[in-house]
Amino acid sequence: MTDVRVPPGSGSEEDVRAAPAPSPDAGPPPSAEARPAFSAGLRLAVTGWLRWAWRQLTSMRTALILLFLLAVASVPGSVIPQQGIDPAAVAQYYTAHPALAPILARLSLFSVFGAPWFAAIYLLLFVSLAGCVLPRTFRLAGSARQLPPRAPRNLSRLPMSASYRTSLTPAEAVGSAAGLLSGKGFRLNNADGWVAAEKGYLREVGNLLFHIALLALLGSVGIGGIFGYKADRLLISGQSFANTPTALDQFRPGRLVTPGDLQPFSVTLDRFTAHYITSGTLRGQPSSFDASVRYTDRPGAPARGFLLRVNHPLSVDGVRVYLIGHGYAPVFRVTDGAGRVVFDSPVPFIPVEQTGLTSEGVIKVPDADPDQLGFAGVFLPTAVDVNGRLQSAFPAALLPRVSLVSYAGNLGLNSGPSQSVYQLDLAHLRRLPVAPRPLAPGQSIKLPGHAGTLTFTGYRQWASLAITYDPGQVPALISGIIAIAGLLLSFAVRRRRVFVRAHAAPDGGTVVDIGGLARSDAAGGFETEFASLAAEIMASHGGRQPAGTAAAGSADDGGSENARYGDDAGYDDDPADNYLSAPADNESALGHDEGE
Amino acid sequence: MFRLPRFPRLAAHAARARLACSLRQPNGAAGAALSAVIALALAGCAGGAIAQDTAASNGTSFVAGSYDTTVYARGSRPVAPDVKGTTLGGRRLSLGSYRGDVVVLNFWGSWCAPCRAEAPTLEALARHFRSGGVRFIGVDIQDSPAAAEAFEHTFLISYPSLNDPSDEIALAFRSTVPPAAIPTTLVMDRSGRIAARVVGQATYATLGRLIASVAAGAS
Repeated sequence: MTDVRVPPGSGSEEDVRAAPAPSPDAGPPPSAEARPAFSAGLRLAVTGWLRWAWRQLTSMRTALILLFLLAVASVPGSVIPQQGIDPAAVAQYYTAHPALAPILARLSLFSVFGAPWFAAIYLLLFVSLAGCVLPRTFRLAGSARQLPPRAPRNLSRLPMSASYRTSLTPAEAVGSAAGLLSGKGFRLNNADGWVAAEKGYLREVGNLLFHIALLALLGSVGIGGIFGYKADRLLISGQSFANTPTALDQFRPGRLVTPGDLQPFSVTLDRFTAHYITSGTLRGQPSSFDASVRYTDRPGAPARGFLLRVNHPLSVDGVRVYLIGHGYAPVFRVTDGAGRVVFDSPVPFIPVEQTGLTSEGVIKVPDADPDQLGFAGVFLPTAVDVNGRLQSAFPAALLPRVSLVSYAGNLGLNSGPSQSVYQLDLAHLRRLPVAPRPLAPGQSIKLPGHAGTLTFTGYRQWASLAITYDPGQVPALISGIIAIAGLLLSFAVRRRRVFVRAHAAPDGGTVVDIGGLARSDAAGGFETEFASLAAEIMASHGGRQPAGTAAAGSADDGGSENARYGDDAGYDDDPADNYLSAPADNESALGHDEGE
Repeated sequence: MFRLPRFPRLAAHAARARLACSLRQPNGAAGAALSAVIALALAGCAGGAIAQDTAASNGTSFVAGSYDTTVYARGSRPVAPDVKGTTLGGRRLSLGSYRGDVVVLNFWGSWCAPCRAEAPTLEALARHFRSGGVRFIGVDIQDSPAAAEAFEHTFLISYPSLNDPSDEIALAFRSTVPPAAIPTTLVMDRSGRIAARVVGQATYATLGRLIASVAAGAS
């Protein structure tokens, strides 16, 4: 908004009338004895303050400050580990800073983007933008409908003007000029002896479009946040999952999303293939990832195949499924002390480095007899011995080995509290004395004390999928495009006015004055348009140019003339016009753009 | 142009796999410190939106709250879908064939700590209500057959469990009472309508009362 942003008291006439004298510097409004009716005065003061607060909130400056605050408030989100992004890091932070962590948690610094103070900033920003854009939209709509103002008395003071004599009567001259201008798409305001014509209303249409689209954009983002959701799922080759909360590893629903709202598709990962560059300086870099999946839109529907790749998501029912990660899941079979197979499945290991894809994971065997068993291990896709230390030299599984540390005792799983499947709670486990030996596929560890046997039977690959549903995405895109188109339109189109006045000359004949005014931007190009218009009008009148008058000059000249014209011709009776012609007009349009 | 993908945050993403919704009583300082996530977790475990991504799930702490129980009045009980499947023992089983009995359907996994904690309770309740026409059925989620069978062996589970490796059974309940977390326990009346849902670890007293009232035909 470009209008008054000063507190009442130092503000416009209207403000002073609405709220007598509360000035922010002077503190609260004057006391009761100053007024005949205390309550009425108080009410006025309160409305005054509210009005002032509203103006402050909806000012461009406040919007910019809020935007800046939003940026600053996001900083802790990248400095302090975030619960939603990396809960393990948050857990580590708790361990490393036991005194500080609870304070940070209380300040919501572990979930910055869900923090009340963060919400406060963006809600205020939203209100500020809406409060700025809405009234402006109405005003623009009004000004787009408005007729051009009456022609000023002295057209020669306009930035561009021309004058000539004709033998037509004043009424005829004005009438024919009006017809000509109307034929060129000018909007007319016609009266006795003058015509005012204006063109370039598309500029306001563009401006209007921009503002409406900006609001729609804000709304779309809101819709996405309320009705959308994000989820992650790690899927081992051969596994299936359905888009339902119990099957998702992580589920971040929008405010109004319930489990029943999830699109009921299912995905099966048939095969995951990673290709790596095998030579040169980029050796070991991935060259492609292909996840061959089958999916069904809904239960019972026929399955369809899809090759899921990075940046090539699967789109089901408006939901996008992205391939975001991969790794190895070594397969283990554990036989307990009683000879029962108590575990036989792939266990996803998480890569801890990318060059060799060395991965870590744990195996929990809670139903082994006599003791629960736990294993913490490292999977090396291509194991090589470097100075007595085993390392992975290449991300593909050329020489897969697993190295494990074995534990027995109580995993802490039976007492209730949830555990991560990627961590062992060592509190009640004892380390078993097993000589560390890397296992090749097919090899086993025989645990001491008849605790059982673990066999590394092979490995599979897993892919991690990100599932995102954002119903606001398409509306946001459309709004964004419209906003930019509107902005371009408002920049490209000039509003310009042409005035024609005719009066009978004292020595007979008619004097026709033509004046031109480009309403916005530097008037580049309008001079030529005006000159040809004036020539055309003059030609239609059979006019002749009196000596000493010519189309007026330079941009500098125009500026000062314009200012003087404003004083002289009383443009103040047309506030919408003032608003439009205000030099800040373009600035504010840009400002909104930034504010977005 | 294909950009070589890197997955720096992968560990973080994957590290949250398979986390159950755990509900425990508050414990002083931890409860206070985690107040920020409690609201979230309660919303999650309270059957509306789910928030499995809470402190509860990272293995170091757990979220305070109460067991979440939803009871449906007689007139507003949703009809349970007729799910069919294969049990861990390899038998075909259809929920529809249990019409006339009260059915307690428990979604579980051998890897899920609250499921392990509530398993003895469920088995005791199954034995207690057996003569009253109450049948227990488990639905094993995201599990492997060997681990699931070992679980049943450990806890001497006498009732059958459907194997649900591709989440078809959980999905079948989506338009009625979707299981919001693991474990979730549904109680269905004799006409095959869902009378109650317990999200999180069930207690003997709460679940027992629910089963008794549904079996007695009360609303």
